[in-house]
Amino acid sequence: MGAVLLLTAWETTKKRVLDYIVPIWEITGTFGAFWVVTGDFAYPSLLIPVAELFAPLLTIFLILFVARSSSIVFAEFIIKKRWLDEVKLFKAYAVSTIVLGLVLLMLVSALVGGQGVDIRTSSFSLASWATAGSIVFLLGTLLLSAGLAPAFFDLAPFRRLILPLTGAGIVLSVLSYYLMASALLTWWMTIPVLLTLGLGLLYLWPKTMRILANKAVFILVVCVAIFSLQPLVYPKVIGQSLSIDLVTTSGTMENAFLLAGGLGAILLAVMIGIYIMVAARGVSGPDTPISTS
Amino acid sequence: MVLDSATMLWFVRFLFAFTIGSHILLVSTSIALSILISAAEFISIRRGDKVYEALARRLTKVFVVSFGVGTASGIVLAVELVTLFPTFMTLVSQTGVIILLYTEMFAFFLEILALMLYVYYWDSFRNRYAHWAASIFVIAGTLLSAVLITMVNAWMNTPNGFDIATFISSGFKTVTGVQPWAVFLTPSTVTEVFHVLPTTILAGSTIIGSFFAYWFLRSRDAGEKEMFGKALKILGAIGIVTIALSVITGADEISGLLTTQPLKFASLEANPVNGTNLPEKLFGGIVNGKFEGGIIIPGAQSFLAKLETGISSLPGLNQYNQTTNPWPPLFVHTTFDTMVVGGMALGAFFLLYLGALLLKRRPYETKFFLYLQIPVAVVAVLVYLLGWATDEIGRQPWIVYNVMTVDRAANLSTSLFVPGILIMLFYILILPTTFYFYARIFRQSDGQKEV
Repeated sequence: MGAVLLLTAWETTKKRVLDYIVPIWEITGTFGAFWVVTGDFAYPSLLIPVAELFAPLLTIFLILFVARSSSIVFAEFIIKKRWLDEVKLFKAYAVSTIVLGLVLLMLVSALVGGQGVDIRTSSFSLASWATAGSIVFLLGTLLLSAGLAPAFFDLAPFRRLILPLTGAGIVLSVLSYYLMASALLTWWMTIPVLLTLGLGLLYLWPKTMRILANKAVFILVVCVAIFSLQPLVYPKVIGQSLSIDLVTTSGTMENAFLLAGGLGAILLAVMIGIYIMVAARGVSGPDTPISTS
Repeated sequence: MVLDSATMLWFVRFLFAFTIGSHILLVSTSIALSILISAAEFISIRRGDKVYEALARRLTKVFVVSFGVGTASGIVLAVELVTLFPTFMTLVSQTGVIILLYTEMFAFFLEILALMLYVYYWDSFRNRYAHWAASIFVIAGTLLSAVLITMVNAWMNTPNGFDIATFISSGFKTVTGVQPWAVFLTPSTVTEVFHVLPTTILAGSTIIGSFFAYWFLRSRDAGEKEMFGKALKILGAIGIVTIALSVITGADEISGLLTTQPLKFASLEANPVNGTNLPEKLFGGIVNGKFEGGIIIPGAQSFLAKLETGISSLPGLNQYNQTTNPWPPLFVHTTFDTMVVGGMALGAFFLLYLGALLLKRRPYETKFFLYLQIPVAVVAVLVYLLGWATDEIGRQPWIVYNVMTVDRAANLSTSLFVPGILIMLFYILILPTTFYFYARIFRQSDGQKEV
């Protein structure tokens, strides 16, 4: 969402977007790594098929990931040198984030829906993946990001765009599910649709706008909306060809997973609690390296 | 070039070696920076010295860049382990080794959350010691990450925690008898962790030291020189401590191989035959079953081994049939010796440095030592990389010693070739750019104004 705004409306949105993104982008990346390792732990038998199917795509993902991290961290501290300045670097961050997001969506749609995957030959074909449903899925997601961005970053001048873009995003997303596999369109779909629409509508009324000013509320609603899509496919993946129960860790390792995860979660909760305590008590100091002016 | 299985195997090995080699340069600098920042802030609080505080603030900006790019390259490795060695990762995920990688993520979270508090809320802390304490958590996070990943490598050298015999006899399919927490302590874990930590800090601190030495010599600004001199004082102390620890723990580690990986020991020492009273051999190599060339020191190898372990009968390559116990590439003897000679050169430098300190000659401001700091950094990095190369090449052809070979573990799909080349080209661009940015960020502030 932030990346879309930085690219399309830099001057009017940079302060709001960068104030949010700059302190947290590193932890977002760390959670990405956490997701990879958790996936390794939870689905050991899926690793070989994932490597065989998606290794080239994942390698491209990695280049974009390093490009994203490098460009934003350089942008935080650069002083203009000839043609290179923070604006160009932040925009490079935005472009790499958007492309990275699209590549991730491609992977997720292939892993869940099976688009472009040939289980018999253990291969993935971009050409086969690029069906109407897959392309519309990406477009719908982009429109949803653009539509919800003003609400998330509290950008009132852009609120007129929320309903049309979010509405179009929802329509395209639902259409994409129909095109990929019409069986996916069950009553479950109404939950994410209503929640997403609700986020946009909440921002349009001054009384409810305040609720969304708390980003934790916004993120929570988005999480619920995404998780509500799980029953559409669970417990099978790769176009309903593979049962997730067959590849999930079990026995001794399952117990170890729960214990390690539990202990880690306690540590994480304590650290986040301390962070929130300090953040709530004070504002960013004079050395905050956010150089938006 | 034909992209057959043999070529792809070498390509996959090279690709991973390239990315991990780049990554460890970034993280060694990160770890050393975290220690330097913490030390600088502590001294500034204790002595009320504003120059140390200004040094800590400036270095923090560099650390943020270092952490950002380092984390990204770490994620590259996490994903590459799956894409390049999926069979190995499947075994890792079915045994307790994955817990090491999983807990490493929480070490990252500890580090990043502490870093965010330290950097973005510097002036929010009323108690300066409370702010400084955040730097301790940053160090704890970085060191814990290094320890945990080294534990993974130790397990690759001396695997435990599952029924190896059943795994092999089942055609590498059945993992039974899993003891998940056993992997935290394998036969080589302690020696490897205690050697990796000081060598990593040494490599990083010499890289940073060379920067300060160079700019101290070039700078005409008294305030800047004062700041650089103070940084060099701290780095000198770090260098002395870490080289001493590296020597002691290095001796422990090579001695440990006598019991845990005797074939590796025989390869590193280039022993064509086993025996007692074996000589130390510097460089040279084995040709047609005999050692040729190099410098021979009669009896020294057995003497040193007996001194360290009490063992005088040392292994030789003749004890290992190449078919049933494949040998690693024997040029590992050269990488090992180069590492040792380089390490001795570093030891000599820091011994001189210590002597100068004790004689109050202020080596951190003396041209002789400042000029030497730059080649010292080059040697330190070379020694560090050669150490890892020796460890990895010495374990070949195994990825998990005596359990799984690299060719069994690897993904040999030719579709990896072009993306792999792209990622290496990208690293060739990003790595020097990152170090250039470190220097630019550090020097773009006005030292006098900050103080």
